[in-house]
Amino acid sequence: MLSYIVRRLMFLPVVLIGITILIFALISTLGPWTLVATFIPSPDAERHVDLEGIIQKYHLDDPPLKMYMRWLNNLFHGNLGWSQSSHMTVAEAIGNRFPATLELTLFAVIPVIIGGIALGVISAVHHNKPIDHTTRIISIGLWSLPDFVLGLAVLMVGYGILGWFPPGRLSSWAELEVLSDSFRSFTGMYTLDSLLNLRFDIFWNALRHIIGPVFTLACLWWAFMLRITRSSMLDVLNQDYVRTARAKGLAEKDVIKRHALGNALIPVTTVASNMLLGLLGGVMIVETVFNYPGLGLLTSTAATRLDVPCVVGVALFYAIILVLVNLVVDILYSVIDPRVRLE
Amino acid sequence: MEILRRLVKNRISLLGLVLLIIFVLIAILAPWLAPTEHEDPYRIPRRGWTLEPTPPSAEYPLGLTQGQYDIYYGIIWGTRTAFRVGIIVITFRALIGILLGSISAYYGGLLDEILMRFTDIFMSFPYLIGVVVFVSIFGPGLNNVMIPLIALGWMPYARMIRGNILAIKQEEYVMAAQAIGVSDLKIITRHILPNSIFPVLIQASMQIGSIVISVSALSFLGLGAPEGYADWGQMLSFARNWMLGEQGNVLKYWFTVAYPGMAMVLFVLSWNLIGDAFRDIMDPRIQA
Repeated sequence: MLSYIVRRLMFLPVVLIGITILIFALISTLGPWTLVATFIPSPDAERHVDLEGIIQKYHLDDPPLKMYMRWLNNLFHGNLGWSQSSHMTVAEAIGNRFPATLELTLFAVIPVIIGGIALGVISAVHHNKPIDHTTRIISIGLWSLPDFVLGLAVLMVGYGILGWFPPGRLSSWAELEVLSDSFRSFTGMYTLDSLLNLRFDIFWNALRHIIGPVFTLACLWWAFMLRITRSSMLDVLNQDYVRTARAKGLAEKDVIKRHALGNALIPVTTVASNMLLGLLGGVMIVETVFNYPGLGLLTSTAATRLDVPCVVGVALFYAIILVLVNLVVDILYSVIDPRVRLE
Repeated sequence: MEILRRLVKNRISLLGLVLLIIFVLIAILAPWLAPTEHEDPYRIPRRGWTLEPTPPSAEYPLGLTQGQYDIYYGIIWGTRTAFRVGIIVITFRALIGILLGSISAYYGGLLDEILMRFTDIFMSFPYLIGVVVFVSIFGPGLNNVMIPLIALGWMPYARMIRGNILAIKQEEYVMAAQAIGVSDLKIITRHILPNSIFPVLIQASMQIGSIVISVSALSFLGLGAPEGYADWGQMLSFARNWMLGEQGNVLKYWFTVAYPGMAMVLFVLSWNLIGDAFRDIMDPRIQA
């Protein structure tokens, strides 16, 4: 067990270095002159700027390896550069926006996992019965809905027609309250903070804003989870040990609970990291549709304004999170399924 | 043929098949359904210069979206864009995956280890974010979206091919063929390829729907197809400014969302319906 974890931990820096090399290779296709162009605000200013001087000063014409080492050194010190599109350093921008995205993801993941697994099991147990067909058709339908189309529809109905779920993160009055001194910020997640501050009006406001994007994100991944659970459960239900359990007269309920469910959930844990990948991508689109100021909106705004440092910074941040989560998932996986450790 | 017969027999996959055939026909017949007016058929013609969308009329059955771009024309030619993007991305992904996966499985040892760690690195990169990094460096455009989608999407196929080949090499029928002196070439073409690559190719083609979603999503964010290009995602990005209608008439511009959205959903649905049935057909254990 320990050797497995150590092996996994040793692989961690390899992945991170691989990712930085990948990104750096992309950046370095931009020549020193293109890099300098980011310093020039207008064509008029170009005449007064000492381009050669800037290239010299920031060592933009160094050999790639030297530039890479310097960049890596900066990254280690948390210096991710300056974000033009959000007018602050990239590290600050990420720090500001991360709680919002975390809040959104946490809200979305819970119904996805619980609802998806429960319905997937039900669907598999009643394979080819009406309930299976219904959930299957609904889940294929939802899975075929692109998140931005669903998001637009949710916004149109939930805000345009019903007026229940406004875009953004808070109404402006609540925003002012949250920024004032009397409101203590614990986590940066408004729903949680407002409860801790006993401000239920702000909680209600934050909740109304978050429901639209959460619903949009959850629908998609709920369908995904349901499909994975269903096929994995079907697989397990056809195994010999389940047949044996049935043959010795166990009640069907016990067969499913004791023998099938645990084994069926093993593949489900492996797709958890896939789901996280998808959620991070989905967050970018959903946040843009709902104008919800998290990391996703930060990325898409930065990308449309060609703000490379910001996009790269977020990508690295995501990569680190992803690698860590994958590590945790792998370790959990080896705890649940002892066969993995032997490989 | 057996697979096709079963796809037609199943009502769910039949629906998918019919939808897909309709889309293929639309893509083939595009020049007749919506005659081109520019040199570049993928440029949606504009019927005026005002910003506000115009509702459907006898002349323009699906209405005109922001900037008076013809929605009907955009949907017809957008079908071609969807097929083209999906097929190009899948083909290259599968090619890279098959190449690296089979090299890895064939040579084994250190090379296998290096290639697999290489795939691990690529896999631990958030796919859509990777595309955004690429686009923010090289600028928006359909090609600049497809390149990173290929570069960050071949890994599952490489792994699958590798796993399949390794498993098949151990199968008794391959060993038996070796034992009776069948040539390597014949073993590869007759036994290993059909059982390792074809299932992967089928699975890959089922991904076309989700690739079209990814590309459209990027166009929607303004990172993919340029304004006025016949692409469903790009057309939906216009809708963003108009979906809340106006005071007292929320659904005034419904057509800007509904038609391109419907085209996309049906396209993706057709692939997913077929893919879902395929999975059950390909898995012999579930048939019991």
